[in-house]
Amino acid sequence: MSDYAKPIPTPSEDSQPYWEAARNHELKLQQCAACSAFRFPPAAVCSECTSDAYEWKPVSGKARVFSFVIYHRAYHPGFKEELPYVVAVIELDEGPRMLSNVIGCKPEEVRCDMPVEVAFEDITDEMTLPKFRPA
Amino acid sequence: MASLKDKYAIVGVGHSALGKVPELSDYGLQVMAVKAALDDAGLTKNDVDAVITHSHLLGAVRVHHQNLSERLGIDTAFGVSLSAGGATSCLMVQVAAAAIEAGFCKTVLCVHGDKGATRKTPGRGEGGGEFGPEYGLYGAAGQHAFGLTRHMHEYGTTHDHMGAIAVACRKHAQLNPVAAMQADMTLEDYHNSRWIVWPFHLFDCCLRSDGAAAVIVTSAERARDMKQKPVHVMGMGRANNSRGYIHGDHMTELGAKESGAHAFAMAGLTPKDIDTAQIYDCFTYILMATLEDYGFCKKGEGGPFVSGGRIELGGELPTNTSGGMLSECYIEGMLQIVEGVRQLRGECGPRQVKDAETAIISGNGGNAVCHSTLILRN
Repeated sequence: MSDYAKPIPTPSEDSQPYWEAARNHELKLQQCAACSAFRFPPAAVCSECTSDAYEWKPVSGKARVFSFVIYHRAYHPGFKEELPYVVAVIELDEGPRMLSNVIGCKPEEVRCDMPVEVAFEDITDEMTLPKFRPA
Repeated sequence: MASLKDKYAIVGVGHSALGKVPELSDYGLQVMAVKAALDDAGLTKNDVDAVITHSHLLGAVRVHHQNLSERLGIDTAFGVSLSAGGATSCLMVQVAAAAIEAGFCKTVLCVHGDKGATRKTPGRGEGGGEFGPEYGLYGAAGQHAFGLTRHMHEYGTTHDHMGAIAVACRKHAQLNPVAAMQADMTLEDYHNSRWIVWPFHLFDCCLRSDGAAAVIVTSAERARDMKQKPVHVMGMGRANNSRGYIHGDHMTELGAKESGAHAFAMAGLTPKDIDTAQIYDCFTYILMATLEDYGFCKKGEGGPFVSGGRIELGGELPTNTSGGMLSECYIEGMLQIVEGVRQLRGECGPRQVKDAETAIISGNGGNAVCHSTLILRN
Protein backbone atom coordinates (compact mmCIF):
# COMPACT_ATOMS: atom_id res chain seq x y z
CA MET A 1 0.00 0.00 0.00
CA SER A 2 1.40 3.36 -1.04
CA ASP A 3 1.48 6.19 1.47
CA TYR A 4 1.33 8.77 -1.34
CA ALA A 5 -1.09 11.42 -0.03
CA LYS A 6 -1.76 13.55 -3.11
CA PRO A 7 -4.40 12.88 -5.78
CA ILE A 8 -3.50 10.15 -8.24
CA PRO A 9 -4.58 10.76 -11.84
CA THR A 10 -7.47 8.68 -13.12
CA PRO A 11 -6.62 8.03 -16.79
CA SER A 12 -9.40 8.14 -19.37
CA GLU A 13 -9.77 5.99 -22.47
CA ASP A 14 -8.00 8.77 -24.36
CA SER A 15 -5.11 9.32 -21.98
CA GLN A 16 -4.19 5.73 -21.01
CA PRO A 17 -1.24 5.54 -23.46
CA TYR A 18 0.12 8.88 -22.16
CA TRP A 19 0.26 7.58 -18.61
CA GLU A 20 1.69 4.22 -19.72
CA ALA A 21 4.53 6.04 -21.48
CA ALA A 22 5.14 8.20 -18.42
CA ARG A 23 5.40 5.02 -16.37
CA ASN A 24 8.33 4.11 -18.63
CA HIS A 25 9.80 7.59 -18.19
CA GLU A 26 8.88 8.62 -21.68
CA LEU A 27 6.90 11.69 -22.65
CA LYS A 28 4.69 10.68 -25.57
CA LEU A 29 1.99 12.72 -27.28
CA GLN A 30 -0.37 11.99 -30.12
CA GLN A 31 0.88 13.26 -33.46
CA CYS A 32 -1.70 13.76 -36.19
CA ALA A 33 -1.02 11.55 -39.22
CA ALA A 34 -2.67 14.11 -41.51
CA CYS A 35 -1.20 17.47 -40.45
CA SER A 36 1.66 16.38 -38.14
CA ALA A 37 0.45 18.55 -35.24
CA PHE A 38 1.13 17.27 -31.76
CA ARG A 39 -1.78 17.63 -29.36
CA PHE A 40 -2.51 17.73 -25.66
CA PRO A 41 -4.61 16.80 -23.76
CA PRO A 42 -5.11 13.44 -25.46
CA ALA A 43 -8.18 13.33 -27.70
CA ALA A 44 -9.71 11.10 -30.37
CA VAL A 45 -9.25 13.69 -33.12
CA CYS A 46 -6.69 16.36 -34.00
CA SER A 47 -7.52 19.77 -32.51
CA GLU A 48 -6.10 21.45 -35.63
CA CYS A 49 -7.58 19.43 -38.52
CA THR A 50 -10.04 16.96 -36.89
CA SER A 51 -8.34 13.95 -38.46
CA ASP A 52 -8.74 10.80 -36.38
CA ALA A 53 -5.48 9.26 -37.66
CA TYR A 54 -2.59 9.58 -35.23
CA GLU A 55 0.40 7.90 -33.67
CA TRP A 56 1.78 8.17 -30.15
CA LYS A 57 5.25 9.69 -30.60
CA PRO A 58 7.99 10.50 -28.09
CA VAL A 59 8.68 14.23 -27.72
CA SER A 60 11.87 15.94 -26.60
CA GLY A 61 10.79 16.85 -23.07
CA LYS A 62 12.27 20.28 -23.69
CA ALA A 63 9.99 23.14 -22.85
CA ARG A 64 9.58 26.60 -21.37
CA VAL A 65 7.51 27.96 -18.51
CA PHE A 66 4.73 29.94 -20.19
CA SER A 67 3.21 31.05 -16.91
CA PHE A 68 3.11 29.90 -13.31
CA VAL A 69 1.49 30.41 -9.93
CA ILE A 70 2.69 29.68 -6.41
CA TYR A 71 0.28 28.02 -3.99
CA HIS A 72 0.55 29.27 -0.42
CA ARG A 73 -2.46 27.33 0.83
CA ALA A 74 -3.13 23.62 0.55
CA TYR A 75 -6.57 22.96 -0.93
CA HIS A 76 -5.86 19.24 -0.59
CA PRO A 77 -4.17 17.93 2.57
CA GLY A 78 -1.61 16.05 0.49
CA PHE A 79 0.07 19.31 -0.54
CA LYS A 80 0.51 20.72 2.98
CA GLU A 81 4.09 19.52 3.30
CA GLU A 82 5.08 21.03 -0.02
CA LEU A 83 3.95 24.64 0.50
CA PRO A 84 4.76 26.89 -1.19
CA TYR A 85 4.73 24.97 -4.50
CA VAL A 86 4.68 25.98 -8.16
CA VAL A 87 2.04 25.00 -10.71
CA ALA A 88 3.07 26.01 -14.21
CA VAL A 89 1.70 26.13 -17.72
CA ILE A 90 4.49 24.35 -19.59
CA GLU A 91 4.91 24.89 -23.32
CA LEU A 92 6.65 21.96 -24.96
CA ASP A 93 9.09 22.67 -27.81
CA GLU A 94 6.70 20.66 -30.01
CA GLY A 95 3.94 23.20 -29.32
CA PRO A 96 1.33 21.81 -26.91
CA ARG A 97 0.94 23.22 -23.42
CA MET A 98 0.29 21.25 -20.25
CA LEU A 99 0.00 21.84 -16.54
CA SER A 100 2.74 20.52 -14.29
CA ASN A 101 4.99 21.40 -11.38
CA VAL A 102 8.36 23.10 -11.65
CA ILE A 103 10.74 21.29 -9.32
CA GLY A 104 14.44 21.48 -8.60
CA CYS A 105 14.54 25.20 -7.82
CA LYS A 106 12.97 27.61 -5.35
CA PRO A 107 9.54 28.96 -6.27
CA GLU A 108 10.92 32.51 -6.30
CA GLU A 109 13.47 31.50 -8.94
CA VAL A 110 10.83 30.48 -11.49
CA ARG A 111 10.29 32.93 -14.38
CA CYS A 112 8.07 33.07 -17.44
CA ASP A 113 9.88 31.74 -20.54
CA MET A 114 12.45 29.95 -18.37
CA PRO A 115 13.76 26.82 -20.18
CA VAL A 116 12.85 23.56 -18.46
CA GLU A 117 13.03 19.84 -19.18
CA VAL A 118 10.90 16.91 -18.16
CA ALA A 119 11.70 14.95 -15.00
CA PHE A 120 9.70 11.88 -14.05
CA GLU A 121 8.44 11.29 -10.54
CA ASP A 122 7.25 7.76 -9.69
CA ILE A 123 4.44 8.33 -7.22
CA THR A 124 3.17 4.74 -6.92
CA ASP A 125 4.14 1.41 -8.45
CA GLU A 126 1.71 2.10 -11.28
CA MET A 127 1.81 5.86 -11.75
CA THR A 128 4.49 8.36 -12.75
CA LEU A 129 4.02 12.12 -13.09
CA PRO A 130 5.92 14.13 -15.69
CA LYS A 131 7.26 17.25 -13.95
CA PHE A 132 9.71 19.90 -15.14
CA ARG A 133 13.01 21.23 -13.80
CA PRO A 134 15.28 24.06 -14.93
CA ALA A 135 17.21 23.03 -18.06
CA MET B 1 -32.01 40.45 -39.37
CA ALA B 2 -32.46 44.04 -38.26
CA SER B 3 -30.41 45.19 -35.29
CA LEU B 4 -31.90 44.62 -31.86
CA LYS B 5 -30.36 47.87 -30.66
CA ASP B 6 -32.69 49.63 -28.21
CA LYS B 7 -35.47 47.13 -29.00
CA TYR B 8 -35.39 45.53 -25.55
CA ALA B 9 -35.26 46.98 -22.08
CA ILE B 10 -34.66 46.06 -18.48
CA VAL B 11 -37.77 47.07 -16.55
CA GLY B 12 -37.10 45.63 -13.12
CA VAL B 13 -34.15 44.64 -10.95
CA GLY B 14 -33.94 43.28 -7.44
CA HIS B 15 -31.93 41.23 -5.04
CA SER B 16 -32.37 39.22 -1.88
CA ALA B 17 -30.62 39.87 1.39
CA LEU B 18 -26.88 39.66 0.64
CA GLY B 19 -23.82 38.44 2.47
CA LYS B 20 -24.55 35.76 5.04
CA VAL B 21 -28.15 34.55 4.90
CA PRO B 22 -28.16 31.19 6.69
CA GLU B 23 -31.95 31.20 7.17
CA LEU B 24 -32.77 30.99 3.45
CA SER B 25 -32.17 28.18 0.96
CA ASP B 26 -30.76 28.88 -2.50
CA TYR B 27 -34.32 28.77 -3.88
CA GLY B 28 -35.41 30.99 -1.01
CA LEU B 29 -32.83 33.60 -1.99
CA GLN B 30 -33.90 33.38 -5.62
CA VAL B 31 -37.62 33.83 -4.99
CA MET B 32 -36.90 36.80 -2.71
CA ALA B 33 -34.88 38.36 -5.53
CA VAL B 34 -37.74 37.73 -7.94
CA LYS B 35 -40.24 39.36 -5.54
CA ALA B 36 -38.00 42.42 -5.30
CA ALA B 37 -37.60 42.66 -9.08
CA LEU B 38 -41.34 42.24 -9.74
CA ASP B 39 -42.10 44.91 -7.18
CA ASP B 40 -39.47 47.18 -8.70
CA ALA B 41 -41.08 46.68 -12.13
CA GLY B 42 -44.64 47.03 -10.86
CA LEU B 43 -45.46 43.59 -12.23
CA THR B 44 -46.86 40.38 -10.80
CA LYS B 45 -45.63 36.89 -11.55
CA ASN B 46 -48.58 36.49 -13.91
CA ASP B 47 -47.07 39.17 -16.13
CA VAL B 48 -44.00 37.00 -16.69
CA ASP B 49 -44.04 34.19 -19.24
CA ALA B 50 -40.41 33.08 -19.30
CA VAL B 51 -37.72 32.18 -16.78
CA ILE B 52 -34.01 31.91 -17.46
CA THR B 53 -31.67 30.72 -14.73
CA HIS B 54 -28.04 29.87 -14.27
CA SER B 55 -27.67 26.11 -14.40
CA HIS B 56 -25.14 25.58 -11.66
CA LEU B 57 -24.67 26.30 -8.02
CA LEU B 58 -21.51 26.16 -5.98
CA GLY B 59 -23.16 23.52 -3.83
CA ALA B 60 -24.41 20.11 -4.76
CA VAL B 61 -27.97 21.16 -5.59
CA ARG B 62 -28.54 22.17 -9.19
CA VAL B 63 -31.14 24.83 -9.77
CA HIS B 64 -33.00 24.68 -13.02
CA HIS B 65 -35.62 27.01 -14.41
CA GLN B 66 -38.31 24.41 -13.72
CA ASN B 67 -37.51 24.24 -10.04
CA LEU B 68 -37.62 28.00 -9.69
CA SER B 69 -40.79 28.30 -11.80
CA GLU B 70 -42.44 25.65 -9.63
CA ARG B 71 -41.71 27.69 -6.52
CA LEU B 72 -42.97 30.85 -8.19
CA GLY B 73 -46.09 29.13 -9.51
CA ILE B 74 -45.43 30.07 -13.13
CA ASP B 75 -46.07 27.94 -16.21
CA THR B 76 -43.64 29.38 -18.72
CA ALA B 77 -43.87 29.80 -22.48
CA PHE B 78 -40.07 29.63 -22.49
CA GLY B 79 -37.71 28.36 -19.84
CA VAL B 80 -34.04 27.47 -20.01
CA SER B 81 -31.00 27.17 -17.79
CA LEU B 82 -27.70 28.45 -19.13
CA SER B 83 -24.18 27.38 -18.26
CA ALA B 84 -21.47 29.87 -19.15
CA GLY B 85 -20.07 30.41 -15.66
CA GLY B 86 -19.72 34.08 -14.82
CA ALA B 87 -20.67 35.02 -18.38
CA THR B 88 -24.16 33.63 -17.76
CA SER B 89 -25.39 36.89 -16.17
CA CYS B 90 -25.22 39.14 -19.25
CA LEU B 91 -25.91 36.16 -21.54
CA MET B 92 -29.29 35.63 -19.83
CA VAL B 93 -30.37 39.14 -20.84
CA GLN B 94 -29.25 38.46 -24.42
CA VAL B 95 -31.07 35.13 -24.62
CA ALA B 96 -34.14 36.87 -23.18
CA ALA B 97 -34.06 39.51 -25.93
CA ALA B 98 -33.48 36.85 -28.60
CA ALA B 99 -36.35 34.72 -27.28
CA ILE B 100 -38.76 37.66 -27.29
CA GLU B 101 -37.59 38.61 -30.78
CA ALA B 102 -38.23 35.04 -31.92
CA GLY B 103 -41.76 35.20 -30.55
CA PHE B 104 -41.16 32.57 -27.85
CA CYS B 105 -42.31 34.82 -25.01
CA LYS B 106 -42.96 38.42 -23.99
CA THR B 107 -41.50 39.17 -20.58
CA VAL B 108 -38.55 37.28 -19.13
CA LEU B 109 -37.25 36.81 -15.61
CA CYS B 110 -33.47 36.27 -15.46
CA VAL B 111 -32.42 34.90 -12.09
CA HIS B 112 -29.36 33.63 -10.31
CA GLY B 113 -28.46 33.17 -6.69
CA ASP B 114 -26.45 30.91 -4.50
CA LYS B 115 -25.24 30.22 -1.00
CA GLY B 116 -21.53 30.68 -1.37
CA ALA B 117 -21.03 31.82 2.22
CA THR B 118 -23.05 29.53 4.42
CA ARG B 119 -23.45 26.34 2.43
CA LYS B 120 -21.03 23.57 3.18
CA THR B 121 -19.64 22.99 -0.31
CA PRO B 122 -18.06 19.71 -1.33
CA GLY B 123 -14.29 19.86 -0.92
CA ARG B 124 -12.14 20.67 -3.90
CA GLY B 125 -10.12 17.91 -5.38
CA GLU B 126 -12.40 15.11 -4.29
CA GLY B 127 -13.00 12.43 -6.85
CA GLY B 128 -11.04 11.66 -9.96
CA GLY B 129 -9.44 13.69 -12.67
CA GLU B 130 -6.16 14.26 -14.41
CA PHE B 131 -3.95 17.04 -15.76
CA GLY B 132 -4.52 19.38 -12.82
CA PRO B 133 -5.34 18.02 -9.35
CA GLU B 134 -2.31 15.72 -9.27
CA TYR B 135 -0.12 18.82 -9.63
CA GLY B 136 -2.02 20.72 -6.97
CA LEU B 137 -4.02 23.02 -9.27
CA TYR B 138 -7.16 23.82 -7.32
CA GLY B 139 -9.80 26.47 -7.49
CA ALA B 140 -10.56 29.43 -9.68
CA ALA B 141 -7.81 31.58 -8.17
CA GLY B 142 -5.02 29.40 -9.55
CA GLN B 143 -6.46 29.30 -13.06
CA HIS B 144 -6.96 33.07 -13.21
CA ALA B 145 -3.61 33.84 -11.59
CA PHE B 146 -1.67 32.42 -14.57
CA GLY B 147 -2.97 35.38 -16.56
CA LEU B 148 -1.63 37.97 -14.16
CA THR B 149 1.80 36.27 -14.00
CA ARG B 150 2.05 36.38 -17.78
CA HIS B 151 0.68 39.94 -17.98
CA MET B 152 3.30 41.07 -15.46
CA HIS B 153 6.00 39.36 -17.53
CA GLU B 154 4.91 40.83 -20.86
CA TYR B 155 3.82 44.31 -19.81
CA GLY B 156 5.40 45.10 -16.46
CA THR B 157 2.08 45.11 -14.62
CA THR B 158 2.53 45.32 -10.85
CA HIS B 159 0.79 44.54 -7.58
CA ASP B 160 0.35 48.29 -7.08
CA HIS B 161 -1.90 48.23 -10.14
CA MET B 162 -3.98 45.37 -8.74
CA GLY B 163 -4.11 47.14 -5.40
CA ALA B 164 -5.55 50.24 -7.07
CA ILE B 165 -8.49 48.12 -8.25
CA ALA B 166 -9.06 46.53 -4.84
CA VAL B 167 -8.92 49.92 -3.11
CA ALA B 168 -11.29 51.55 -5.64
CA CYS B 169 -13.87 48.81 -5.13
CA ARG B 170 -13.57 49.11 -1.36
CA LYS B 171 -14.09 52.88 -1.45
CA HIS B 172 -17.23 52.35 -3.52
CA ALA B 173 -18.49 49.64 -1.16
CA GLN B 174 -18.28 52.14 1.69
CA LEU B 175 -20.92 54.20 -0.15
CA ASN B 176 -23.20 51.17 -0.52
CA PRO B 177 -25.01 50.15 2.68
CA VAL B 178 -25.66 46.58 1.51
CA ALA B 179 -22.01 45.92 0.61
CA ALA B 180 -20.33 43.32 2.80
CA MET B 181 -16.94 44.99 3.13
CA GLN B 182 -17.17 48.34 4.88
CA ALA B 183 -13.73 48.56 6.55
CA ASP B 184 -11.13 50.96 5.16
CA MET B 185 -8.55 49.44 2.83
CA THR B 186 -5.29 51.17 1.92
CA LEU B 187 -2.79 50.10 -0.71
CA GLU B 188 -0.63 48.95 2.19
CA ASP B 189 -3.48 46.80 3.52
CA TYR B 190 -3.73 45.25 0.07
CA HIS B 191 -0.02 44.43 0.00
CA ASN B 192 -0.19 43.02 3.51
CA SER B 193 -3.11 40.69 2.78
CA ARG B 194 -1.99 37.08 2.67
CA TRP B 195 -1.15 35.17 -0.48
CA ILE B 196 -3.87 32.89 -1.76
CA VAL B 197 -2.05 31.80 -4.91
CA TRP B 198 0.82 34.08 -5.93
CA PRO B 199 0.42 36.50 -7.67
CA PHE B 200 -3.02 36.83 -6.03
CA HIS B 201 -3.31 38.28 -2.55
CA LEU B 202 -6.50 37.67 -0.58
CA PHE B 203 -7.68 41.13 -1.66
CA ASP B 204 -7.30 40.20 -5.35
CA CYS B 205 -10.06 37.64 -4.87
CA CYS B 206 -13.82 38.22 -4.81
CA LEU B 207 -16.02 37.40 -1.87
CA ARG B 208 -17.98 34.23 -1.25
CA SER B 209 -21.53 35.30 -0.59
CA ASP B 210 -25.11 34.25 -0.12
CA GLY B 211 -27.50 36.14 -2.31
CA ALA B 212 -29.63 36.18 -5.44
CA ALA B 213 -30.57 38.81 -7.98
CA ALA B 214 -33.21 39.02 -10.71
CA VAL B 215 -33.53 41.13 -13.84
CA ILE B 216 -36.73 41.51 -15.91
CA VAL B 217 -36.46 41.98 -19.68
CA THR B 218 -39.24 42.93 -22.07
CA SER B 219 -39.68 44.83 -25.33
CA ALA B 220 -38.99 48.57 -25.34
CA GLU B 221 -42.52 49.00 -26.62
CA ARG B 222 -44.04 47.27 -23.57
CA ALA B 223 -41.54 48.97 -21.30
CA ARG B 224 -42.86 52.41 -22.21
CA ASP B 225 -46.00 51.99 -20.08
CA MET B 226 -44.34 50.40 -17.07
CA LYS B 227 -43.55 51.72 -13.62
CA GLN B 228 -39.84 52.40 -14.10
CA LYS B 229 -38.08 54.48 -16.67
CA PRO B 230 -36.82 51.72 -18.97
CA VAL B 231 -33.13 51.00 -19.32
CA HIS B 232 -32.51 50.05 -22.93
CA VAL B 233 -30.18 47.35 -24.17
CA MET B 234 -28.10 49.17 -26.79
CA GLY B 235 -25.41 46.61 -27.35
CA MET B 236 -24.91 42.91 -26.76
CA GLY B 237 -21.78 40.83 -27.22
CA ARG B 238 -20.52 37.40 -26.38
CA ALA B 239 -17.44 35.34 -27.23
CA ASN B 240 -15.67 32.39 -25.71
CA ASN B 241 -12.00 31.44 -25.55
CA SER B 242 -13.28 27.90 -25.64
CA ARG B 243 -9.91 26.37 -26.50
CA GLY B 244 -9.09 27.15 -22.88
CA TYR B 245 -7.24 29.80 -20.95
CA ILE B 246 -4.08 27.75 -21.50
CA HIS B 247 -4.26 28.21 -25.30
CA GLY B 248 -2.52 30.90 -27.36
CA ASP B 249 -2.77 34.35 -25.79
CA HIS B 250 -6.10 33.56 -24.10
CA MET B 251 -4.84 34.17 -20.58
CA THR B 252 -3.95 37.79 -21.42
CA GLU B 253 -6.59 38.46 -24.09
CA LEU B 254 -10.00 37.42 -22.83
CA GLY B 255 -13.17 36.66 -24.79
CA ALA B 256 -13.87 40.27 -23.80
CA LYS B 257 -12.10 41.57 -26.90
CA GLU B 258 -14.49 40.03 -29.40
CA SER B 259 -17.50 40.30 -27.09
CA GLY B 260 -16.87 43.99 -26.45
CA ALA B 261 -16.35 44.69 -30.15
CA HIS B 262 -19.75 43.12 -30.93
CA ALA B 263 -21.45 45.16 -28.22
CA PHE B 264 -19.85 48.48 -29.22
CA ALA B 265 -20.61 47.88 -32.91
CA MET B 266 -24.26 47.12 -32.15
CA ALA B 267 -24.58 50.14 -29.88
CA GLY B 268 -22.77 52.42 -32.31
CA LEU B 269 -20.59 53.65 -29.46
CA THR B 270 -16.91 53.69 -28.56
CA PRO B 271 -15.34 53.39 -25.10
CA LYS B 272 -15.22 57.21 -24.89
CA ASP B 273 -19.03 57.25 -24.86
CA ILE B 274 -19.33 55.07 -21.74
CA ASP B 275 -20.18 56.82 -18.45
CA THR B 276 -19.77 53.89 -16.04
CA ALA B 277 -18.46 50.33 -16.20
CA GLN B 278 -19.67 47.42 -14.09
CA ILE B 279 -17.04 44.79 -14.76
CA TYR B 280 -16.90 41.15 -13.69
CA ASP B 281 -14.27 41.27 -10.95
CA CYS B 282 -13.87 37.68 -9.81
CA PHE B 283 -10.24 38.74 -9.50
CA THR B 284 -8.66 42.18 -9.83
CA TYR B 285 -6.72 41.02 -12.87
CA ILE B 286 -9.85 40.05 -14.81
CA LEU B 287 -11.26 43.56 -14.33
CA MET B 288 -8.06 45.12 -15.68
CA ALA B 289 -7.78 42.73 -18.63
CA THR B 290 -11.46 43.31 -19.51
CA LEU B 291 -11.00 47.10 -19.61
CA GLU B 292 -8.02 46.58 -21.95
CA ASP B 293 -9.93 44.18 -24.17
CA TYR B 294 -12.90 46.56 -24.35
CA GLY B 295 -10.53 49.22 -25.68
CA PHE B 296 -10.59 51.66 -22.75
CA CYS B 297 -6.80 51.51 -23.07
CA LYS B 298 -4.29 49.51 -25.10
CA LYS B 299 -3.40 45.93 -24.23
CA GLY B 300 -0.67 46.11 -21.62
CA GLU B 301 -1.61 49.58 -20.39
CA GLY B 302 -4.35 48.40 -18.05
CA GLY B 303 -2.17 48.76 -14.96
CA PRO B 304 -1.50 52.48 -15.37
CA PHE B 305 -5.10 52.93 -16.60
CA VAL B 306 -6.70 51.65 -13.39
CA SER B 307 -4.33 53.71 -11.23
CA GLY B 308 -4.54 57.27 -9.99
CA GLY B 309 -8.28 57.21 -9.32
CA ARG B 310 -9.34 56.89 -12.95
CA ILE B 311 -11.78 54.05 -12.15
CA GLU B 312 -13.03 55.63 -8.91
CA LEU B 313 -16.13 57.79 -8.52
CA GLY B 314 -15.18 61.22 -9.81
CA GLY B 315 -12.65 59.64 -12.18
CA GLU B 316 -12.82 59.24 -15.93
CA LEU B 317 -14.50 55.82 -15.81
CA PRO B 318 -16.22 55.10 -12.49
CA THR B 319 -16.08 51.32 -12.33
CA ASN B 320 -17.86 48.85 -10.06
CA THR B 321 -19.59 51.63 -8.19
CA SER B 322 -21.36 49.20 -5.84
CA GLY B 323 -18.07 47.75 -4.64
CA GLY B 324 -18.23 44.89 -7.13
CA MET B 325 -17.73 41.25 -6.30
CA LEU B 326 -14.48 42.20 -4.57
CA SER B 327 -16.21 44.27 -1.87
CA GLU B 328 -20.02 44.20 -2.26
CA CYS B 329 -21.21 40.66 -2.90
CA TYR B 330 -20.60 37.77 -5.30
CA ILE B 331 -23.58 36.61 -7.34
CA GLU B 332 -21.61 35.71 -10.45
CA GLY B 333 -22.12 39.05 -12.17
CA MET B 334 -25.85 39.54 -11.54
CA LEU B 335 -25.31 42.55 -9.28
CA GLN B 336 -23.21 44.19 -12.00
CA ILE B 337 -26.40 44.39 -14.10
CA VAL B 338 -28.44 45.60 -11.14
CA GLU B 339 -25.95 48.37 -10.38
CA GLY B 340 -25.72 49.41 -14.04
CA VAL B 341 -29.51 49.75 -14.23
CA ARG B 342 -29.69 51.69 -10.98
CA GLN B 343 -26.94 54.07 -12.09
CA LEU B 344 -28.84 54.77 -15.31
CA ARG B 345 -32.01 55.43 -13.34
CA GLY B 346 -30.10 57.81 -11.07
CA GLU B 347 -30.94 55.82 -7.91
CA CYS B 348 -27.49 55.45 -6.42
CA GLY B 349 -27.38 58.29 -3.92
CA PRO B 350 -23.86 59.02 -2.63
CA ARG B 351 -22.31 56.71 -5.22
CA GLN B 352 -24.30 58.06 -8.17
CA VAL B 353 -22.27 58.75 -11.32
CA LYS B 354 -23.38 62.23 -12.29
CA ASP B 355 -25.56 62.31 -15.42
CA ALA B 356 -24.84 58.67 -16.24
CA GLU B 357 -26.46 57.85 -19.58
CA THR B 358 -24.52 54.78 -20.71
CA ALA B 359 -23.11 51.77 -18.89
CA ILE B 360 -21.10 48.76 -19.97
CA ILE B 361 -21.56 45.51 -18.06
CA SER B 362 -19.45 42.38 -18.34
CA GLY B 363 -19.63 38.74 -17.40
CA ASN B 364 -16.63 36.41 -17.54
CA GLY B 365 -16.35 32.82 -16.48
CA GLY B 366 -16.37 29.13 -17.28
CA ASN B 367 -12.72 28.61 -16.25
CA ALA B 368 -11.81 32.07 -17.58
CA VAL B 369 -13.00 31.37 -21.13
CA CYS B 370 -16.59 32.63 -21.55
CA HIS B 371 -17.43 36.31 -21.88
CA SER B 372 -20.58 38.39 -22.34
CA THR B 373 -21.17 42.13 -22.61
CA LEU B 374 -24.13 44.50 -22.34
CA ILE B 375 -24.19 48.18 -23.18
CA LEU B 376 -27.17 49.90 -21.55
CA ARG B 377 -28.61 53.40 -21.82
CA ASN B 378 -31.38 55.24 -20.06
